[in-house]
Amino acid sequence: MPFIRLKCDELIPEREKHTYVTEKEKSIIPLCNISTVPGDMTERGCAFAGARGVVGGPITDAIQIVHSPIGCAYYTWATRRHMSDQYAWSLPGRLDNVAFNRRYCVVTDMEEKDVVFGGSRKLLKSALESIRLFPEAPGVIMYTTCTSGLIGDDIGSVAKQIEKETGKLVFFAEAPGCSGVSQSKGHHVANRQFFGQINEIRRKQPELILPEEERTPYDIVLVGEYNMDWDLKVILPLMERIGVRVLTTFTGNARMMELVRLPDTKLNVVHCQRSATYIADMVKEGYDIPYVKASFFGIQQTNKALRTITHHFGLDELAEQVIAEETARIQSALDWYRERLSGKTVAIYVGGPRVWHWIKLLEELGMKVVAGACTFAHEDDYEKINSRAPDGMLVIDNPNEFEIEELLETCKPDIFLCGLKEKFLGRKMGIPTLNSHSYEKGPYAGYVGFINFARDIYQALGAPVWSLINGKGE
Amino acid sequence: MSANHQPISIDGIAYNQLKIEKKPITPEYVRRDPELVPKANRTVVVNPARTCMPFGAMFAGLGMHRGLPFVQGAQGCTTYVRYTFCRIFQEPASIANASFHEDAAVFGGRKNFIEGMRNLIVRYHPDVVTVVTTCSSEIIGDDMVSFIKAARKRLITELGEEDGSRPKLVLVNTPSFAGSHIVGYDRASRAFLETLAQDHSKPNNRINIIPGMVMPGDVREIKHLLREMGVDAYTLFDISDVFDTPLMPPQTLPYYPEGGTRITEVEDMGNSMATFALCQNEGGLGARYLEQKFEIPAFIGPMPMGVRSTDLFLKRVSEVTGKEISKSLKDERGRLLDFMADTLHHTMMKRVAIFGDPDIATGITRFACELGMEPVAVMSGTKTKTFTADIEGIVAESGAKPLILNGSDLFEFEESLKAMPVPVDVIIGNSKGADIAKELQVPLVRAGLFVYDRVGYHKRPVIGYRGGERLLADLVNAIMDFSYPEERTQQL
Repeated sequence: MPFIRLKCDELIPEREKHTYVTEKEKSIIPLCNISTVPGDMTERGCAFAGARGVVGGPITDAIQIVHSPIGCAYYTWATRRHMSDQYAWSLPGRLDNVAFNRRYCVVTDMEEKDVVFGGSRKLLKSALESIRLFPEAPGVIMYTTCTSGLIGDDIGSVAKQIEKETGKLVFFAEAPGCSGVSQSKGHHVANRQFFGQINEIRRKQPELILPEEERTPYDIVLVGEYNMDWDLKVILPLMERIGVRVLTTFTGNARMMELVRLPDTKLNVVHCQRSATYIADMVKEGYDIPYVKASFFGIQQTNKALRTITHHFGLDELAEQVIAEETARIQSALDWYRERLSGKTVAIYVGGPRVWHWIKLLEELGMKVVAGACTFAHEDDYEKINSRAPDGMLVIDNPNEFEIEELLETCKPDIFLCGLKEKFLGRKMGIPTLNSHSYEKGPYAGYVGFINFARDIYQALGAPVWSLINGKGE
Repeated sequence: MSANHQPISIDGIAYNQLKIEKKPITPEYVRRDPELVPKANRTVVVNPARTCMPFGAMFAGLGMHRGLPFVQGAQGCTTYVRYTFCRIFQEPASIANASFHEDAAVFGGRKNFIEGMRNLIVRYHPDVVTVVTTCSSEIIGDDMVSFIKAARKRLITELGEEDGSRPKLVLVNTPSFAGSHIVGYDRASRAFLETLAQDHSKPNNRINIIPGMVMPGDVREIKHLLREMGVDAYTLFDISDVFDTPLMPPQTLPYYPEGGTRITEVEDMGNSMATFALCQNEGGLGARYLEQKFEIPAFIGPMPMGVRSTDLFLKRVSEVTGKEISKSLKDERGRLLDFMADTLHHTMMKRVAIFGDPDIATGITRFACELGMEPVAVMSGTKTKTFTADIEGIVAESGAKPLILNGSDLFEFEESLKAMPVPVDVIIGNSKGADIAKELQVPLVRAGLFVYDRVGYHKRPVIGYRGGERLLADLVNAIMDFSYPEERTQQL
């Protein structure tokens, strides 16, 4: 099947090259990672969101300073569900009730005069004040936005000044909202700039590098794992049991100092392969450290991930042992859900990789993916989708709201896995939905997480509310 | 059998079973530098209590029937705001965007606007598009008036005179570096009335209501009050059936909620008897515009919360329309008073801290004083000219001397509460106060625009006598949950 033009796109035919139906023999790579059609009611976000929300946000102990008018900071204050266990003190002897990275929102609050006369001084002053206010933080991470980017504030020189005056670690990402075509640009910028800054810090302060005697031959870093709803609570114990040591993650629940030591690993394991393969590539190039790709969603993929990692270290037997134990543990629960979910159809709309991460996993539940859509996927994501997708699956790159509605109306999936903005829309159409970005009740990763995922899908589908809707079954 | 081998039940693993060990960021307690606590002593803003100007304009634009905001800026400007509406209301929020990428930032947003407006209108056929500017479009200097003319020309060329002219385009300039979401809504109220309201010199015997950024439950309550009095009214930006809509598929595509103010209603607002802007700072501009342009009397605030402010609102409506305050409303008032009398031992002398947008913070403070509570700190996240004087006026009678923070941040609010020698008993404010209340170990009664961490807040009113009952019940029950052992609550 070739590209197809949806009914709602008759008047914006340029969208046709983004929309196709899968066919094994004739795989198509749609136009992707290109400009959005203005006014098409896109679901995409901005580069700043990719840098601040996805890559930088999960870092737990940094003061995260947004250099902008108030809104860009307000919307990124503790919204995504990236969790942490690092807490500040609220009183002597009592820790805060919310982890440090979600507790405070720090912003320069640019005003008209800053736009006219420049905001660099305000940024410097704000950063120095926040370091005084939060001396417990080892450093700051600063982000530019449309406003500070367009007026050309020199964040790099402010960073140098802060380092000089305070000796604190400083990361920054220059990903104004209007740069790039989607969040994806911000992932890339944050990867590239953080890596550069990590190198610089290691060069200037070699004492921060992990000493040889504290390293083990089995050190790994989980790259592109953001600890959504505590996915790490299921992934880390698995890693321990297969005999590897996780130095840190990039960037779920990560400390700034750990990130400085990111290149001291023996192997990088890349989970989100859209937002973070960049840094794995750079570490490989700069430090000659290999990486492997892995998915921790579903049984087969988690099995494969464990085997890939252990194989690298010659620990294959440990993986087999863990796999046997874990699959046995969840078998009866899995059977229970498989019996109830078998034959149901699914549409998935996520950022990128989860479409192909999840096709296999849903098949493990006996479900069939009938449509998949990605906000910011690149060519390699569509290659992976094509290789995993069943024939006849509708694929849309960067879908807009109308296309999503048409997708739901024509494919009539039994459930729609999507983001927060779309989940209420799907429900209005009578289709059960599930938040696949921040999850409903995670963790969803690993073996136990897979049962949570199945449970939430079943709860969405099985709720009596759907059978109470007027006109159903009449 | 070790824990690792325990079979997993169909319940999976619940969040509270994860055993997250809290790790302190430093070995010792770190005291916040008291010199930097007052916002006046620092540049940086920590934990803001307001958001960006376009938010208010988008809120307003969604309150129009078949109304779509179009945001002239980067995609995040739309996505973040939609996300926020979704969190508050658990409803879809459709907003279009010009998708500024590098080329727009360099060459200006003209092409994106004209193409974007065309793409939106030919597919969605909206009645009205609210053109919302952003930091970026304002900085690069997009000439929106000429862009709108060009877009209209393009539409007429493609769709013909009639169809191309049909959708109204209303421009609201909202550079976020010049004000908060409050200002965005205020500006939208003026922009819509300036663009659409007409004077036919044909009195319509109606009043106009500009509700401000209140909840669907509040708008419904205002309608109820007016219905009981037999008063006909127009509501500008009526979000009641936009942000609280029924689940009744099938939907016709594209999705539009059924509610929202009609264009014809806004056009006819130039013929009304009076305009009531329930919030001084959210809609006052629109009311004043109608007063200047069409000599329609404007009644701007106070938000009809609690007894006296609701009395005042109804009295003014009665005077303007000549309709009497109905027996049913007098009964509602009486029921609220009865409830206040029955709960006074739980509210009298309670030390309360209040924060939020200026009008609701003022309204809550007034009601709290009527309940015999003692406001010890009152904060507006947005600075206004009158907030400090308004609060001073309200508390004067009771003799309370609260800390008044006009346009500060929640960091100062929190640290000020922590520094009080006698602790506060209860906090009233939005969900951003949850962390503060937990640390102070006092209840948070949720009220205001940004309530997203509990369900159902938006469905019921805080306005009017019945809204007062609801708020009072929430307040007393929260205090009970926190401060009384169960054996003391068997006989209230």
